[in-house]
This record gives sequence, C-alpha cells and structure tokens, in this order.
Amino acid sequence: MTAYPILTAATFLPLVGAALILLIRSDRAARWMALTTTLATLALSIPLYLGFDKTSSALQFVESAEWIPSWGIAYSLGVDGISLPFIFLAAVLSVLCIGASWAAVRTRVREFYAALLVAETAMIGLFAASNLFLFYMFWELMIVPLFLLIGVWGGPGRIYAAVKFLLFTLSGSVLMLVGMIALYQSLGTLDFKALADAPSSLSPEQQAWLFAAFLAAFAVKVPMFPVHTWLPDAHTEAPTAGSVILAGILLKMGAYGFLRVSLPVLPDGAQLFLKPMLVISAVAIVYGAYVTLVQKDVKRLIAFSSISHMGFVTLGIFTLNRSGVEGAILQMINHGIISAALFLCVGMIYERTHTRQIQDYGGVAKVAPIYSTLLALFCLAAAGFPGLNSFVGEFLIVGGAFQTSGWLGAMAIWGVVLGTTYLVWLFYRMVMGETHPGLAGLRLELNAREVATLAPLALLALCLGLYPECVLSYLRAPVAELLAGVPR
Amino acid sequence: MNGVSASDLVLLLPELILVGTCLVLLLAARPIQANRAVPLALVGTVLAAVAAAVASGWLLSRGAATGFGGMFRVDGYSQFFKLLITATLVLTALFSVRSIEDEKLPRAEYFVLLLLASTGMMFAASALDLLTLYLGVELMTLCAYILVGIRVERPKSNEAAIKYFLLGSFASALLLYGISLTYGVTGATDFGGIAQALSEGDGENPILLLGIVLVAAGLAFKIAAVPFHAWAPDAYEGASTPVAAFLAAGFKAAGLAALGRVCLIAFHTESQLLSMALTGLAALSIIVGSLMALSQTDMKRLLAYSSIAHAGYALLGLIAGTSEGTSATMTYAFFYVFMTLGTFGVVIALGERGQKLDGYQGLAVQRPVTAALMLLFLLSLTGIPPTAGFVAKFVVILSAVRAGHTTLAVVAVVCSVVSAFIYMRVAVLMYMKEPEEPAPSRIPMAISAALGLAALVTLIGGLFPGGLTSWAVAP
Repeated sequence: MTAYPILTAATFLPLVGAALILLIRSDRAARWMALTTTLATLALSIPLYLGFDKTSSALQFVESAEWIPSWGIAYSLGVDGISLPFIFLAAVLSVLCIGASWAAVRTRVREFYAALLVAETAMIGLFAASNLFLFYMFWELMIVPLFLLIGVWGGPGRIYAAVKFLLFTLSGSVLMLVGMIALYQSLGTLDFKALADAPSSLSPEQQAWLFAAFLAAFAVKVPMFPVHTWLPDAHTEAPTAGSVILAGILLKMGAYGFLRVSLPVLPDGAQLFLKPMLVISAVAIVYGAYVTLVQKDVKRLIAFSSISHMGFVTLGIFTLNRSGVEGAILQMINHGIISAALFLCVGMIYERTHTRQIQDYGGVAKVAPIYSTLLALFCLAAAGFPGLNSFVGEFLIVGGAFQTSGWLGAMAIWGVVLGTTYLVWLFYRMVMGETHPGLAGLRLELNAREVATLAPLALLALCLGLYPECVLSYLRAPVAELLAGVPR
Repeated sequence: MNGVSASDLVLLLPELILVGTCLVLLLAARPIQANRAVPLALVGTVLAAVAAAVASGWLLSRGAATGFGGMFRVDGYSQFFKLLITATLVLTALFSVRSIEDEKLPRAEYFVLLLLASTGMMFAASALDLLTLYLGVELMTLCAYILVGIRVERPKSNEAAIKYFLLGSFASALLLYGISLTYGVTGATDFGGIAQALSEGDGENPILLLGIVLVAAGLAFKIAAVPFHAWAPDAYEGASTPVAAFLAAGFKAAGLAALGRVCLIAFHTESQLLSMALTGLAALSIIVGSLMALSQTDMKRLLAYSSIAHAGYALLGLIAGTSEGTSATMTYAFFYVFMTLGTFGVVIALGERGQKLDGYQGLAVQRPVTAALMLLFLLSLTGIPPTAGFVAKFVVILSAVRAGHTTLAVVAVVCSVVSAFIYMRVAVLMYMKEPEEPAPSRIPMAISAALGLAALVTLIGGLFPGGLTSWAVAP
C-alpha cells in the first residue's frame, strides 16, 4: 500500500489540470499544461502496476470514505486485474491525444484541453470505481466532454453526430439508472463486491429484467449490433483526439460493464440472455465486416471496423469460458491500442490533405515512407497478424467460441478473413501504387512530434503481440473468480 | 379554541418579518421611487428574507411546535420549505434589478408583492388546517396575478394576467369546494381531525372522495401539473422574467409543501385513491411537459413546459404515501428550485437576447462563463451527474420503484431523454454555432451573485448530497 490515495489522485489530477487550464489565458500555456497533467497522471499511476499483486483476485489499492451516509453509499475505489490495464490504457491514450491535437486544434484551445482532461477523469474514475453509484456518476460524466468534443471541434456533420451520440448513450444509461435503483432497492447496497456476493436473493425473473436494463446501457456503448448506428457518425465527425477516446476507451466501458455488473451480479439473467448475445455478437462481427468493406471514407471505414472488432469482444465475454473471456479483455486492450493508432494515422494525414476519401489517396509509400511503415504495422495488427497484439486476442476468442459452438467459431473465423481483406485492401489503395496527383506538392511525411505520438502505440502492439503475458497475467485470477460465480 | 397568545405569535416570526418589511416599503414608497441610485427596496427585501430565514432556523432549534389552536405548525418540514422560500425570494429579488430598471416597474410595490407572496407560501408550508392552507395559497396566488400583469403598458402581460386570473380563480373554487365537502363529511378542517374522522370509518363516502380529489386538483393547479397546467406557459411568457422565475420555483415549492402535508397527514388513510390520482398527474405532467417543450422557440415557454415536467418528477415521491417518499419530494423541490432559478437567471442576465432560443447562438464564444453556467443548469435539469438534478432524480425514482411503480419510473427516465434533447439544443446553440448577435451587455453584480449562489448549490448538492437528504425529513 502506498502512503497517499493513489487512485483518487490519478482520477482527479486531470480535473485539477482542467480547472487550471481554464484559469490561464494563453493557448500555448494551455497545451503545455495539458501535456504536463496527462504525463503526471501517467507517472502517478505507475506505482499501481508495480505494487499490484497478480495472484490475488481481490480489489487492491482500496480507498473508501463516507460519502452519502443516509443512503449507505460510500466513495470507494479499488482496482483488480481486469480494471488495471484499462487505467493504464486511458492514461497513455490521454497523453497521445494531447500530442495529436497539438497543431490540429486551433480554435478554443483552452476549452478543448479542459474537455479532454475532464474526459480523462471520467475514464480513470470509471475503471477505478468499486461501487455502482460511483461507476454511474463517471459513466454519465463521460458523456458531457465527448458531446462537446464532437460537437464543437468535429467535422462538417458534427452537430448531428454529437446529438445522436448524446441521445443514444443517454437512452441506454437512463435505463441503467432504473436498473441500478431497482438493484439498490432489492439488495440495499451498490458495492460491486457486496452485490456479487448476494445474487441468490434475486429471482431469475428479476435478474432477467435487470439484465435487460443494464444491457440497454452497455450495448449502446459497446456498441452491439442493432444499436451501433451512432458510432460511425460520432467517430467520423469527431476530431482525432475525440475518435481516439471514443474508440480507445468509451467502447470498452460497455464491455467492462458486462464484466463488472451483468455477469457477477446477475448470473441467472446472463444465462437467460446467453444465446441471443452470442448470436448478435456473431452478426456484429460479420455484418460489421461487410459494411466496412464498402466504405469509401477512411475514417468511416475504421469506425465500422470497430463494430466488427467489438463483436469479437462481446462474443468472447459471453462464451463464458476462460479462453474466451481472457481473450475478450485482452482484445479490448488491443483494440484500444490499434483503433486509436489508426485514427491517429488518419487524422495526421487528413491535416495535410483535408480529404478522407480513399480514392483521393494512392502511392503514399513513395512520399511518406515512415508514415506508411507505421500504417502497415497497425493495419497488420488490426488484421490479426501473428506476432502483433490482436492475433493473441482473436486466437483466444476464436478458441473460446469453438468450445461453445462450432458455428460461432466459424463465424468468427469468417470475420477474421473479412477483417484482413478490408484492412489490406485499404492499405493497398492508400499506400501502394502510383502517387495520386492530388498529393503532389504536399509534405506528407510525419514530423518528430507525430512519430513520438505513434511510437508508443507501435511499441505496445509489438510488446503485447510477442509477450501477451504482460496483460494476461493480470487477468488470470479475477477471470477465474468471475467465471466461478457464473453457472454454465 | 383558545385565544392567541404571545407564544403563538413567536411562531409567526418569519412571516411577521416579511409582512413588517412590506408595511415599511409601502410607507416609504415615494422616497424609494424617487431614489434611483440606491436600490433601497431590493436591499430591504433581501435583508428581510435573510432575517426570516434566520428566524425560521431559530424556531426550528427550539423544537417542533403547534400554535393558533392547531392551525399552524412549526417543524422540520415547514422550516425546510421556509428556508427554500426565503432563498427563492432572495434570488428573485436579486434577479429583478435589471427588469425594474428596463421595464420601469413600480419599485416598492413590486417588492411588496414578492414579500407578500412569499408570506403566503410560508403559511402554506406551515398549514395544519385546510383553512390556513387555503389562506396561504390564496395570498400567494393573488399576489401572483398582479405580479404577472405588473408591466401595465404591455398588452401581452395584461393578457397573461387575465388568463391566469380566470383559470386561477376556477382552481381556487375547486380547492374551496373540496375543503367544504371534506368539512361536510368529516366535520373538521384541521388535518388531525380529518385523519381521525377518516380512520373511524368515513373512508368510503363518495362525497369525501370527491372532496379529496378536488383538493388535490386545486393544489395541482398551483404546481402546474397536467391537466391543470394550461396557465403556466402563457403566464410565464407574459410576465417579466424574474416573476416567471418566482412562479416556476416558489409556487412549486409551496404547492408541493402543501400537497405533501395534506397527503401524508390529513388524507393518509386514503392513500390508495391519492396514489392513483398522483400517479396520473405525475405521468401526464412528465409526458406532456417533455413533449410540448420540444417545439418551443421562446425560452420562457420552453422553461414553462420543462417546469411542468419537473412538477411531475417531484410528484413521483408523493405517490408512495410514505415519509421516505415525501422526503424524496422535498429533496427534489429543493434542488429544482435552485437549478430552475439558475436557468432563469441566465435568461435574465442575457436581457432581450435571452428570450428567444436563437439568441443563445455562439454564447460560449462571447460569454464563456455565462454559457458554462447555463450548461451546468441544463445538465442539472436533464439529471446528469455530478449535478444536483441527478440526485433529485435518483431519490424520486428510487421512491417510485419502492412503491412498486417500476413502469412509471421507466416512463419518467425515457421522458428525461426527450427533455435532454431540448436542453441540449440550447447547449448546441451556445457551443456549436457561431454568434450572430453582438455580445450581451455586462451582467449586473446582483445577478452574477445570485447566479453564483444557484450554481454553487447545484454543484455542491450533486457532489455531496448527504447533508441535505438527511435534512429533508417528512412531517
């Protein structure tokens, strides 16, 4: 245990930074302030990884203080092996978002960085929360800065995208509110641990309704198949940093909710919904991949690929076997790294060409070799190339799917094949061949700041691909405990 | 009944302070009108309100007491609402500085009417007898008719006042009729006597049931719950904006205070009927208020429909008929008052530009702080944490779920998404559009101070709701 409340500090340091940024006057100072804050937050979180006991499935670095005594709700934080990697991911991506926005954001700079930092507080707080009330607070808090990031600094269709994002996520989360209140009413507590220990007092019918209520919120965030339509608009219109946060963290919040609430607290409800969840996950994988194939807009293409990739994650979670769930969590991290990297790549070249149409590109390799190399690495990683990170995650998920049903495994394999197709084809159209005449005279090669922004992600993709144990070792104990509580 | 003693009068201390200030203001009306430099009437009103709040707190510290032959009650419940009413009065008075100047309102009379209306609200909060209740409610409503029409040279204001008066008199008649029917059956007008008579077996009498429904309807009119809401949008639109804020905040608080005590003490044996009636009122108010607000382009009309929807949310707590539910409604009323006053405060701060929805275009570029405050209040009205509006929504929905009305809870939250669309439309205009009009003029100190207070309560209430929720104790 450390001498100071490390989780509280990591959660609220960005908020303090946001407040300071709003107080200072100069845009330049705001940038540096934001960078310092995110770096400090990342540094602050390092003792978490060093001091974490991987053999234990219990919450660690627990902090608890009285908050609303009349309702019996405490301010309690704590991390286990499932939430810890996400805190790391959130802290890293926040730093890179600042780097990616350094030159791209020119209007209302201070407000932009303040919104980014508020989002960082919400992200870290969400993964550190150890009771449902606090979880919900951060869940909702996340909506506000992202609504503004998309709507103020986004592309031409930004207002439509922002409002659509807001209404979709809010519709889901208000149902979660009713579910949370019903849970509180029946069990008298909102602490994750206490909720998970007392599931027997809920009848299967109650559990089914509660599962549906939470599903509404989580499915929209993931997003699962029929409620995914906000995602392409939001990701496409958002500024690069917004897309990175959306794809990197926000989508993981829904899947994390399944692992934190739906499975441990409502095992019978999960049991009832198991088959439909598996089916719509498989549909998302294949349908998402086919829709991705026909996209003409690079950013939209990557956005749609997220639907397919997140389908793998939900498929893995609901196989309810060790391989599937561990693979799903690993894949969440992988997708966070790779889709963030791909959005950063697209954003960097868009700043120079101001077009997102694939047909306006071609032969980028000749003018921007470093960029092309990095893009190749990330495309291969996303396609599940062995030696890069997604391979391990997809392999585990597909393995888990085959244990559940051969059909699901086949669908997942088909999804991998399609994924490889659209990514390689994208790379082929953009990077190979003759240089597109429209690109003549543009300086497409990356500068040092941009390389520094992408390099950590490339490094992570390689590390996780060659040595996935560095994440999997955290997952073993908590996943084992999670699955022990769920009947199969 | 015994005569009035000195100890009875002490219980009236907060009300007496307000009435005394009224008399002083009326006597000094001429110098107040003449002296434009120092807002004497404003300072007097604010000081009186603060003194009344202190007196309310002092009375509470002496313990609960009943006076005037069982007609007037001082307890945690009444003092909770009295503090809320004095806060409403202070904020409204501060918000009025600009409109008094711009619209040439009669200074002394304007504040006198505000003070008297607040006195009426306080009586309603303390009433332990249907007649005290009626007097309190009527005092506040009569003052409100004049306040709505106080911009005499504006036809719209006169029209609004007349409409409001006609509908309001009808509602008062309903209330009075309900009181007389109740009296006819139970032989009592005091809450204790009514409850006793009902428990002894008059519960099934159809005339009594009619009486109860009429009393509830009369009070529902005061809080503008659907289907008794038709006056609100017109009255708010025609009234000067601070008056509209006063109506939206203070009237709801006082009406809910009266309704809460009537439901919980006088008619508690009839909780089944009341629960049915209140469920209907709440569901209709939430649905109609949220949907009608969608198409509004006038800010005050939009806020009127939003306040109708919020009346419905507040009623969710009373449906249960338990003291827990009532304290949920108290919490809702408390936070609602501050976030609504805050929203109206921004409308007032922007002057003419704030009246139309389009006026909010590009506000975040021109006035970042004002826009941020508006965003905070709008988020709170939507019920997004960490604002007070979320805590308020949480407690009333918890109370509805506890009472077994899960479907109603789902309807309520789904409608809150509809209203989110309206509130966020203002946010979209403020943050995502370029300004088309010149920046609004400087905001007077008084208005900034009041906005700051409302924002503070909205934020602190959302982050640390523990203190307030334990303080909101039902009678």
